[in-house]
Amino acid sequence: MPSVMLRKREDGKLLFYVAKKDLEETIESLEFDTPTKWGGEVVLGDGSKYYFELLDAPPKIPTTLQAKRL
Amino acid sequence: MSQQVDNIQASYPLFRTDEYKENLANKREAYEERHPQEKIDEVFQWTTSAEYKEINFNREALTVNPAKACQPLGAVLCALGFEKTMPYVHGSQGCVAYFRTYFNRHFKEPIACVSDSMTEDAAVFGGQKNMFAGLENVKALYKPDMIAVSTTCMAEVIGDDLNAFINNAKKEGYIEQEFPTPFAHTPSFVGSHTTGWDNMFEGIARYFTLNYMEGKEVGANGKINFVPGFETYLGNFRVIHRMMKEMGVDYTMLSDPTEVLDTPADGQFRMYAGGTTMDEVKDAPNGITTFLLQPWQLEKTKKYVQTTWKHDVPKLDIPMGLEWTDSLLMKVSEVTGKPIPKSLETERGRLVDMMTDSHAWLHGKKFALYGDADFALGMTKFLLELGAEVTDVLVNHANKRWRKACEEVLKASPYGQNATVHIGCDLWHFRSLMFTNKPDFMIGNSYGKFIQRDTLYKGEEFEVPLIRIGFPIFDRHHLHRMTTLGYEGAMYILTTLVNSVLEQLDKDTRGMGTTDYNYDLVR
Amino acid sequence: MVAMTKEETEALIQEVLEVYPEKAQKDRAKHLAVNDQSLEKANKCITSNRKSLPGVMTIRGCAYAGSKGVVWGPIKDMIHISHGPVGCGQYSRAGRRNYYVGTTGVNTFGTMNFTSDFTEKDIVFGGDKKLAKIIDEIEVLFPLNKGISIQSECPIGLIGDDIEAVSKVKTKEHGKTIVPVRCEGFRGVSQSLGHHIANDAIRDWVLENRDGDDSFPTTPYDVAVIGDYNIGGDAWSSRTLLEEMGLRVVAQWSGDGTIAEIEKTPKVKLNLIHCYRSMNYIARHMEEKYSIPWIEYNFFGPTKIAESLRRIAAHFDDTIKEGAERVIKRYEAEYEAVIAKYKPRLQGKRVMLYVGGLRPRHVIGAYEDLGMEVVGTGYEFAHNDDYDRTIKEMGNATLLYDDVTGYEFEEFVKKIKPDLIGSGIKEKYIFQKMGVPFRQMHSWDYSGPYHGYDGFAIFARDMDMTINNPCWKNIKAPWKKDAAEGEAVKAVA
Repeated sequence: MPSVMLRKREDGKLLFYVAKKDLEETIESLEFDTPTKWGGEVVLGDGSKYYFELLDAPPKIPTTLQAKRL
Repeated sequence: MSQQVDNIQASYPLFRTDEYKENLANKREAYEERHPQEKIDEVFQWTTSAEYKEINFNREALTVNPAKACQPLGAVLCALGFEKTMPYVHGSQGCVAYFRTYFNRHFKEPIACVSDSMTEDAAVFGGQKNMFAGLENVKALYKPDMIAVSTTCMAEVIGDDLNAFINNAKKEGYIEQEFPTPFAHTPSFVGSHTTGWDNMFEGIARYFTLNYMEGKEVGANGKINFVPGFETYLGNFRVIHRMMKEMGVDYTMLSDPTEVLDTPADGQFRMYAGGTTMDEVKDAPNGITTFLLQPWQLEKTKKYVQTTWKHDVPKLDIPMGLEWTDSLLMKVSEVTGKPIPKSLETERGRLVDMMTDSHAWLHGKKFALYGDADFALGMTKFLLELGAEVTDVLVNHANKRWRKACEEVLKASPYGQNATVHIGCDLWHFRSLMFTNKPDFMIGNSYGKFIQRDTLYKGEEFEVPLIRIGFPIFDRHHLHRMTTLGYEGAMYILTTLVNSVLEQLDKDTRGMGTTDYNYDLVR
Repeated sequence: MVAMTKEETEALIQEVLEVYPEKAQKDRAKHLAVNDQSLEKANKCITSNRKSLPGVMTIRGCAYAGSKGVVWGPIKDMIHISHGPVGCGQYSRAGRRNYYVGTTGVNTFGTMNFTSDFTEKDIVFGGDKKLAKIIDEIEVLFPLNKGISIQSECPIGLIGDDIEAVSKVKTKEHGKTIVPVRCEGFRGVSQSLGHHIANDAIRDWVLENRDGDDSFPTTPYDVAVIGDYNIGGDAWSSRTLLEEMGLRVVAQWSGDGTIAEIEKTPKVKLNLIHCYRSMNYIARHMEEKYSIPWIEYNFFGPTKIAESLRRIAAHFDDTIKEGAERVIKRYEAEYEAVIAKYKPRLQGKRVMLYVGGLRPRHVIGAYEDLGMEVVGTGYEFAHNDDYDRTIKEMGNATLLYDDVTGYEFEEFVKKIKPDLIGSGIKEKYIFQKMGVPFRQMHSWDYSGPYHGYDGFAIFARDMDMTINNPCWKNIKAPWKKDAAEGEAVKAVA
């Protein structure tokens, strides 16, 4: 379960950053991204997939969350 | 905008322009929360006092601005003195980056040296795998004839066994069984860079001779051996070569990096050049005897040479200055039966001639000095021969026996009566001494420049100028090519000292209409 | 010499790899690449941030170098203890040219070396008691220090010392910030982990010190310069530009920096990152914890400086945006005169770089401003994200080398025959002997600053003096020169 820091790029795209893995990728798709439900499966720019536990509301970005590698 | 294209200024004096001065003053005032200037001045004055010196000398744990480096640095220098030899340091890679850089800066030469880049897994499991791959890779890439292995503190703390690792590497075929791989354990938490040189040399001597003493006979090859120790003046190797040639003495310099540390710029990079050959090392026990040019730092070597090679090692001091060069030459003459030739006698006479010429400017001038044990002792001796007064001699890594020896040299001269010898001390101690004892000059490596600045800050009359003789010298060019041993070396030291005195006198007397009555053309 | 094609560059890499033993060859192949601008991600072509191979003569250093030498060392009003044997502190003393102003030995300590000078006894019985005593002695002898950091050398982590416990006790006792840093040299694969560890130590032991303290008067224009080590005064020739456009540079990390500036940084509005590699960690942390955005910028050469000033200004109101334009305009005559003088002397010259941190990509623009071309570049301790940022800066089919070995670098240079190499002191004398003009691009070869418009003028002057110095003409003895030319003529005939 890597610690993932989420932040917005200057162009508004969400970045997925794992310091230990030296990984910084754009988030291409997120399963749930509504005001009441946020999380689920994430697909990154390089095609890899992760999973965020579901939240009742979108987190305040930037933030660090745990993600599961799928 | 501060740059004019036809007069582009680097940091100094660029940052002394008003715009920058103002900006940096604002940085200090607005953000740095600096102590008030009066407080800084007060503490500065206190650090120059006798009271501070007392507290400073009572330190038990802290070292500030040491006057030494660590063992593997010395091991690397020793290894560089052998033909086509790659210094190989078993342990962390950062150490090797530092050793190379340190020598690069001093010699302004490339330094070949590898590490086997041990990391966390090696800390847990030991560095044998690193040794296997390291030996295989270095041999393939850099094609040395010999790999001289030493260690960093990491490998020493986890207890890696060089002998076993190297033998296993050979057994498993990473390098050939017969490939020369002398080694030495060189823990940086024991001794200093000079200890590391001694250990590496003993390791090389042991590797090539310990099990091959059969048939060896003292004196069989008619040569004498020289072991230089941690020596960074290229001229010091060259002057021994020259003097021995002039005497017609057959000799071997055991570890001679003069070629590899002085290769030409002619379009080609030479990783290896010159150096003592393996055959010369193997043949060394057949020598008449072995001269240790810096005996205080070669204790392990001495023991090995005496017990294994059965050499009767002459009891000499570093051949620095007049009388100890005399002693060396007389001893060489004695053991080889070759007379000291006219040419060296003339050279000696020229040195004495220079001493007579310059004595008036050096007599009674006060000098403090620091450095490695043998250097400091030799420099002390020569200063006394010149009639100069020694105030303080400071060595970080010397032992009590050395202190006693140094004190005896001082006591024997009227010019050494007021001197104090300090061991186990660092350059922050030395700084205190420069304020409280105020010699005319200090002699040491480049680090002394900070002390000179500090003494000047107290006031012009307190300034102690630095004369750069020692290692490392990073802030002056090409001084490492000079000579400090033999008559020739004494001439260089004498010239350096007397001209420093005259420079200083010019500086003091060039005030127009005030002091320049004494700003003499002829001195 | 004309530019190499992709195939030629690939062939060159293959040729150089030949000499390696099989396993090493496979590993090194991943670190050497031909640049391809069309790639989005560098990991498609080059591997980085991996262990160096044993015995290959890597140019890299260690975590201690990254922490003490790079990040912590320049913080001028703290005392940094090189904790362990004597060597590390000695070799890294005052060599990096992190300029600062202060009364050294009294209220600043940048060029000094404080060490615990471990002996065998300390290894066997542990060094914690000695460390505690050292801290006490520092407090007596250097009373104006603003804090102490403990920079661990290799043995500390191996003998089980608890420097954190000592730090906590002594922090309480002396009422000063005392920071344990676990930057033992064997950690990680290069300096890089040392940067990260140092960033984390600042985060954990310093950064929160003024949370809740609003006594420092802030403005909407407060920024911090992060990752400028003030080598030769780089941060100074940068801060003046930023302040001229109307910003306040509250903190410099860490060249000429103070602990007060570090502590005030959470109060700034924008963090400006120059050396991304060594300080992105702390910027990301401040973004998350204090909601301070950060941007990367590049102050090498007028093109990149103008770009950067505008990008920075975009985060502020119109007064700052106008300020940026004003600054660019003000220096126009200066940099145009520099280009007019030096470009004709440097046009078309080909450069190979091998440095650390940000420079293998950041200085490309400055060379291009002078009409020069960078034909090969590489990093000592980069990660993927550094190469991501490099691909677009470099031309197609140019050479990329990660953690280059002494052997590879020499061979590449022999084949590519650049007009100038920019790298470090360990490489300098090798290439000078080969007759290739060389500038140290870590220490600015004892010159500098190179940042900002004032720095660019010095950069241009230095590149010209080195490339066009008459010494290179005399590398070959005249009698040898004739022979070589004679043969060449024969070959042509």
